Amino acid sequence: MTCTRYNAVYNSPIPEMLTPSPRFPLLTCYLWLVTCFLMTPVSLASEWAAPEQELARKIAAVTGPGAISLEITNRSSLTKKDVEQIGQGLRVQLETLGARTVKAEQAAASVQVSLSENLQSYVWVAEIHQGAGDSSVVMVSTPHSDSAVFVREAAPLTIRKIPLWSQEERILDIAVLEEGSSPTHLAVLDPDKVALYRFADNRWQKEQVMEVTHLRPWPRDMQGRLMLRQDHLLDVYLPGVFCQSSNTAPLTLTCRASDDPWPLSNQFSLGGFFAPTRNYFTGGLSPGIGKQTSTMKFYSAAALPRPSYTLWMFASVDGQIHLLDGITDQVARLNWGSDIASLKTSCGSGWQILAARPGENAVDSVRAYEMPDRDPVVVSPPVDFAGGITALWTEAQGTSAIAVSRNAETGNYEAFRLAPACGQ
Amino acid sequence: MKLSGWHRLAVSSLLLGISALAETRPQYGGTLRTTTRIAPSSLDPADRTQSDSLARRNLSSLMFDTLVVMDNRGRLQPALASSWKTEPGNQRWQFWLRRGVKFHDGSPLTPEAAAASLRVASPGWSILAAVDSVIIERDSPAPDLGAELARARNGIAKRGPGGSVTGTGPFHVTDWQAGKKLMLAAEEGYWAGRPFLDAIEIEMGKNSRDQLIALELDKADVTEVAPEQSHRASTEGRRVLTSSPIELMALVFARDRQSTADGKLRDALALSVDRASIGSVVLQGAGEPSGAILPSWVSGYAFVFPTEQNLSRAGQERSEIRQVPSWTLGYDAGDALARVIAERIALNARDAGLILQTTTSGSADVRLLRITLGSLNPRVALATVAATTGIAAPKMGGAAVEELYQAESAMLQTQRLIPLFQLPAGYALNSSVQDWDQDRDGSWHLEDVWLGGNRP
Repeated sequence: MTCTRYNAVYNSPIPEMLTPSPRFPLLTCYLWLVTCFLMTPVSLASEWAAPEQELARKIAAVTGPGAISLEITNRSSLTKKDVEQIGQGLRVQLETLGARTVKAEQAAASVQVSLSENLQSYVWVAEIHQGAGDSSVVMVSTPHSDSAVFVREAAPLTIRKIPLWSQEERILDIAVLEEGSSPTHLAVLDPDKVALYRFADNRWQKEQVMEVTHLRPWPRDMQGRLMLRQDHLLDVYLPGVFCQSSNTAPLTLTCRASDDPWPLSNQFSLGGFFAPTRNYFTGGLSPGIGKQTSTMKFYSAAALPRPSYTLWMFASVDGQIHLLDGITDQVARLNWGSDIASLKTSCGSGWQILAARPGENAVDSVRAYEMPDRDPVVVSPPVDFAGGITALWTEAQGTSAIAVSRNAETGNYEAFRLAPACGQ
Repeated sequence: MKLSGWHRLAVSSLLLGISALAETRPQYGGTLRTTTRIAPSSLDPADRTQSDSLARRNLSSLMFDTLVVMDNRGRLQPALASSWKTEPGNQRWQFWLRRGVKFHDGSPLTPEAAAASLRVASPGWSILAAVDSVIIERDSPAPDLGAELARARNGIAKRGPGGSVTGTGPFHVTDWQAGKKLMLAAEEGYWAGRPFLDAIEIEMGKNSRDQLIALELDKADVTEVAPEQSHRASTEGRRVLTSSPIELMALVFARDRQSTADGKLRDALALSVDRASIGSVVLQGAGEPSGAILPSWVSGYAFVFPTEQNLSRAGQERSEIRQVPSWTLGYDAGDALARVIAERIALNARDAGLILQTTTSGSADVRLLRITLGSLNPRVALATVAATTGIAAPKMGGAAVEELYQAESAMLQTQRLIPLFQLPAGYALNSSVQDWDQDRDGSWHLEDVWLGGNRP
């Protein structure tokens, strides 16, 4: 069930966001759903009241008081329930104007109402036929509701997909700055800014916006990374640009042109040079993996520690996975997508790789793998997304990841935390 | 679970992996090869000697940007103008230009350059260049001026000697053989990000059959598909994407209604056309029979205008006229679909007692025309049809849907045109073309397209 009239989105618009109480999450959810269910008809009725009234007035102006037949046809994206409610509302409004609805054979005028729509509005058209005379056409329009609908998907077995944020602008990365049982302070990176949000008074409130300055145009399929720091809040890595926040409030962001390597992991010290006008890393590594200081151009990287070395995996632009261990560069065609990230967990061997993979209709999924040797073993069912994945980054603690996807239906970017749940 | 469950998952993953693609992230590089039916002799977006078509607009948008664009909901979005405001009354609009934008020749986009370009496209407007903006003043309220500026013909171009033009769009021209071939290369410093493709190669003047053969022989990556061929192309396993209906096919009379009798004969002709049969047989179900000028997804009320054939009423209207003239029905000689439909219409008319002689001559009494939807703004779209067909521009005081309906009704009552079908635009793509993002009106976004698979 969705409660569209109540903007059932998890963060948009932010002031109306509802989140479950940390103490009684299930109860709160249940009450919220029940409330939503009970109040929906009332909400819808008030939503359509104005156009119902206006159309009834226009119909009655043509027919005058008396007996009319009313037939309603839906030619729009309105649901059956909406159509029934609009029909009821229209009848009530016509009655108040003296036009009572009867069967066609008893009517002095027949009214065919079509509920249609165009790009921006619902268009309700009444074609009125009286006797043998010409028919009249009257119509009204009412804007489409812009409220987005976010339907939370059923919980997967081993990777929990926890919604964090959604917005129209592309989300490059998200950092959770503080959390209790759920995040309470977020930094959201998009191409123009870092926005800080705090959950207070039962809603998300924008705390501060720090603009990102840059001289060159951003590349398409833009990538960016937020890294939390000890001595200041965060660093921002963007194509050809590096930004650093100040360490005192109010926070500021200082950006400069930079070709410094981006950190590829919080846990392992390795950086990769990002091509400033592209969507991939050049392949240059700093300081390198053993003697290896470069690999093929790649989109993302993930590390798996071994007893005596670290195995690095690179999702290369040629669609293959390069495995570097400091000595060899082994190529594997695993049919993974462009985005991979590693997680340190208490499940299985303790380290897993998350890999995106494309599905049908540009809908991607993520699943977890282990690498006992050099061949991956699937360790979770896939977690599906409502569109293509645009970013997948390991979070600061290394135990969960941030996945960003673009919802194919709404066009909004949605960020999720992917957290493993062992043995489910 | 443990081991057995994990093993099950491993097996299922392997099975899935066989058919899965490896890449999800867009890849840079490669040359996209495409074909079009049109063969323009000029690339200037404001050249009014070239007929307006979706293909021409799409070509133009590769090289030229407009100040604003329209999204799929018909709302204005920033492009070369990063912001704008309108004075109360909508007579004066001010557009602030995006900073740092350059023409393909390296010169900066200035308010003077933008204003000069717009003066060529719309000579009747008062256009001023301010410090960082362009100001447009009109004699009367112009609430739809933004939508007008979003049209490809208002693309910002810098015109040089000898008819050369340069734009600020995502691709620049590397080779241009008028009417035959256009080669474009990605603009590295494009303000909205360098396109993924390195280059685009466009072969022009190709008929539908040749285009599909080029796709079949892997000589093209993207081709146009005629509406009547889209169903078959899909069933043959080709990847076909179609837009919403964006092209009005209509009968357009060369002259205004001459008399009451002439009006009755035009009525009879409109009533005689069997749109349903033509739609299912000739168009293979690809076009929507329409009695309206605007498609329903743009106006919301197109179904109000009748489309059914009514031979008895047509015959009755015809019988009231003693002298029935013989009309010539013209169509584009290069348009095979138009020829078949024109012949069907002539047969339908004969059933109602009318005489229609089909011809490819340019001076026919009535012509079968295709008119591309001019804008996602219904008022601008209606005005565009009026301009194309020679009907007086409709007067609309406000933005209410009822006023739009009345304006459209008034245009139809002139009896200068008889709407027949709303046709979609279709494209066939080979498997290497990724992220083909097509607007509802069929507009391309080739700057977002990339080539996957084995293509270079």
